[in-house]
Amino acid sequence: MSKPAGLVSQIGHKAFPVLVILLFILVLWYVAAVAMNAPGAIERVLPTDTPWTWQQLVGATMDMQRPVLPTPHQVARDFWSSLVDWPINSPRNLLFHVAVTAESTLWGFVLGTLLGLVLAVLIVHSRTLDRALLPWIVASQSVPVLAIAPIVLVILGSLGFSGVAPKAVIAMYLCFFPVTVAMVQGLRSPQKIETEMLHTYAASKWQALLLLRLPASLPFLFPALRVGIAAGLVGAMVAELPTGAVAGLGARLLTGSYYGNTVQIWSALVMSALLGLTLTLVVAGVEKLVLSRRGGQT
Amino acid sequence: MSRSSKFSSGLMAAVLAVCGVTASMGASAADKVTVQLKWLPQAQFAGYYVAQSKGYYKAEGLDVTIKPGGPDISPVQVIAGNGADVVVNWMPDALAAREAGVPLVNIAQVFNQSGLMLTCKKASGVSSPKDFKGKTLGVWYGGNEYPFLNWMAKLGYKPGTDIKILKQGFNVDPLLQNQAACISTMIYNEYWQVVDAGVKESDLVTFFYEKEGVASLEDGLYVMEAKLKDPAFVAKMGKFLKATFKGWNDAVKNPAEAAKIVVANDMSGSASEKVQQRQMENVAKLISNAGTAKIGYLEPAAYERTVKVLLAAGSSPVIKKDPGKAAYSHVVWEASAK
Amino acid sequence: MKLSLVKALVFAVCSLAGACLLFIHPAAQGKLPEGGSPDAVFWLASLVIAALAVESVRLLAALDGSRWLGTATAALFGLWVLYFWQLLVVAFEVPRVLLPPPGLILQSLGEHSEVLWGDFVQTVLKAVLIGWALGSGLGFAVAVAIDRLPFLQRGLLPLASLTSTVPLVAVAPIAVMWFGFEWPSKAAVVVLMTFFPMMVSTLAGLKATGKLERELMFSYAASYGRTLLALRLPACMPFIFGALKVNATLALIGAIVAEFFGSPTAGLGFRISTEASRMNMPLVWSAIVVAAVTGSLVYALLVQCERRVAFWHPSVRGL
Repeated sequence: MSKPAGLVSQIGHKAFPVLVILLFILVLWYVAAVAMNAPGAIERVLPTDTPWTWQQLVGATMDMQRPVLPTPHQVARDFWSSLVDWPINSPRNLLFHVAVTAESTLWGFVLGTLLGLVLAVLIVHSRTLDRALLPWIVASQSVPVLAIAPIVLVILGSLGFSGVAPKAVIAMYLCFFPVTVAMVQGLRSPQKIETEMLHTYAASKWQALLLLRLPASLPFLFPALRVGIAAGLVGAMVAELPTGAVAGLGARLLTGSYYGNTVQIWSALVMSALLGLTLTLVVAGVEKLVLSRRGGQT
Repeated sequence: MSRSSKFSSGLMAAVLAVCGVTASMGASAADKVTVQLKWLPQAQFAGYYVAQSKGYYKAEGLDVTIKPGGPDISPVQVIAGNGADVVVNWMPDALAAREAGVPLVNIAQVFNQSGLMLTCKKASGVSSPKDFKGKTLGVWYGGNEYPFLNWMAKLGYKPGTDIKILKQGFNVDPLLQNQAACISTMIYNEYWQVVDAGVKESDLVTFFYEKEGVASLEDGLYVMEAKLKDPAFVAKMGKFLKATFKGWNDAVKNPAEAAKIVVANDMSGSASEKVQQRQMENVAKLISNAGTAKIGYLEPAAYERTVKVLLAAGSSPVIKKDPGKAAYSHVVWEASAK
Repeated sequence: MKLSLVKALVFAVCSLAGACLLFIHPAAQGKLPEGGSPDAVFWLASLVIAALAVESVRLLAALDGSRWLGTATAALFGLWVLYFWQLLVVAFEVPRVLLPPPGLILQSLGEHSEVLWGDFVQTVLKAVLIGWALGSGLGFAVAVAIDRLPFLQRGLLPLASLTSTVPLVAVAPIAVMWFGFEWPSKAAVVVLMTFFPMMVSTLAGLKATGKLERELMFSYAASYGRTLLALRLPACMPFIFGALKVNATLALIGAIVAEFFGSPTAGLGFRISTEASRMNMPLVWSAIVVAAVTGSLVYALLVQCERRVAFWHPSVRGL
């Protein structure tokens, strides 16, 4: 794409395909909504004793009380009303739930990143830990921590942790793994020639870590952080399910499912996607800032 | 809200939490009571919320924390892990837990009637329990499966061969979408969700556990046996019961007000007043002692009936031996009546 | 070299065997009198054993040698962790509801092996395997299609990355609504979870060939398809295997969590949630062990496959 183009045509070039695909998905969505909601509408909405036309059927599938697949405009309406119709600190406002979920996600992310960094530094500097611990860290990810979230919460509860802490711990468990693995790689990335040079300066292990290994590992760290924060969000949402559906996007999904409010499930889903996107964009922004200040040697 | 202040407050909270843990080990929390509910905040638990928001607990000098439950929360697990002083639970689950080594004791029985039922679509060809054979039935797990399994054993149906069981989620979709012939419902809640979804009541067939003679006691209050040895705990729980019964009496008398209070306590913002008021009206029918001096009193006869039902469940009984009189205690209830 | 290996192994075996002597102590058998706490002898012995454990792992780790040694070190470390878990849980009388000792878990694994096998078939062989194959296959196919058609790439990629931020566990209740309670609904969740990592990795892999190699193919007048088959797909293999490995754990977790939202009366997720509420913790942990072992084995298997398929690749040779 080396041809010089105006900004407008550049955006058009980028946005046009997205719009086409979006339109395609929307049409598909409406068609699917009609098809999937039709049996329920025939059974519960349309009159059973008089004949009905197919126009009535399509009309009935567009705005159902308990749709199998809510139509896009239903979701958009519910999403919008949950943002503007209630004060921001009301449990009926989605932003309130975003704040709850984001809080445990961020705590988990910070703790998980720190844990990952510490583990990686230890593993790089200790042969014993490298040999004994690293395989177990890989194996730890196949423990379905989400499935045992209820048990983890009870254990933590018996130790006196409640509120954000247990949710943050589960988010942390999912966050620390990608960070650990990437940092082990990153801290080992300096070339022999560079480590030798520090050696000739009689630099200590600490100095080698701070001056050479850590800066060299940054390009490895950031992709892992992007993965980590998304994983942390999943962890925080799942951890909200067994905490008694108090608040948060996970709780919204649960109660929406419980009260048969399908539209609420979908709005919560859209919101969680937006939250995930925002979090990853923030991490990407920090990455750009930090790496550009290093002289852009990505 | 600046980021740094949020962070520092979070840090403070963490430090306080750690201090709190160590402090709570030292000082005895004289009037703190934590109650773990069996399910999400709804009118099924209106009594506790009413007592809380009308200050009945405070008047007794108690600081009560109400923990909502949910599909993956087992009240037994929470109390065994020391996460609550008292739990709301169904008797079959509590007795099964007792047998599994968690010595729970019933201190009060709020609901005297069972609200559990199976709701079926007529169209699926079910008109009597004989028709269950070969059908798919939805059941809740997490301690609520015992009454059902018990009933099936009594009918002589083997799950998996004679009937197909679905672990029901938290809603009535399996029935609406014809994924199951029958689903478990509570008369005060899920049954009306089916009706609200547009299914006519005339198209439904219902089987009440109470009428089938397989009912077991539902919402009661349970504590750990060892704690009852402590007179201070008994006195504290006596106050808790007194305020709770007051809350229940109000809720039964004034369902509309109770519904408002419940909705205000639902932090997920999904409950609606209309639905909660109807639920409260139906719950009121299960508390036949409301407004009398007998509210919350566990009738030994009712307890024995439940035990008999549970023991009689053919090849895989919920409990294998009669727990006897140790599984309930009137001590706290008597303290509350003073 | 040989001698030091023998020394390390003998030391490890001896200290493990010596450590097991502590199980004679009443505290380690949970036979303390009511309200009693372990005596000084017990603590002293535990401390000595802890020192021995650290030393034995260190000795084994310090050896140079085959990859087999690394496995042995990790295994020894794992054994020590299990040992102390058993010892401390029993000595401190941690309630079984919270954390059962490994001995009990093992016993329950044996007792309930039939039930757990049924769960394994239901969750792993049906939902996970089918979902994982479908999701990864679709991800691969879409990536190749996108690579061929730039229009699709510009249109689909932003949207696909948007869907990747949806916590896909949240789709589970919807999947149950659409596909019923049996394994198809779990497989659907798995397909969604595994699709995106595969697509992104394959796209990155297809771009991984150097200009030099592509020019060479061009000079042979090789067609697009030929270049794809002979050059770009082989170069893509490490990326594909990386995604397969990530997807294996994702698929397992996805299927298990999806079973929480409604399931037939079998499956690892069903077992974990049901038995947890029945206070049958040893069985819960057995199910967790089955899941974890499955995940680790699949991971190891994929690593082996990768060695066979992409033996020429620097990332494999360098190990």
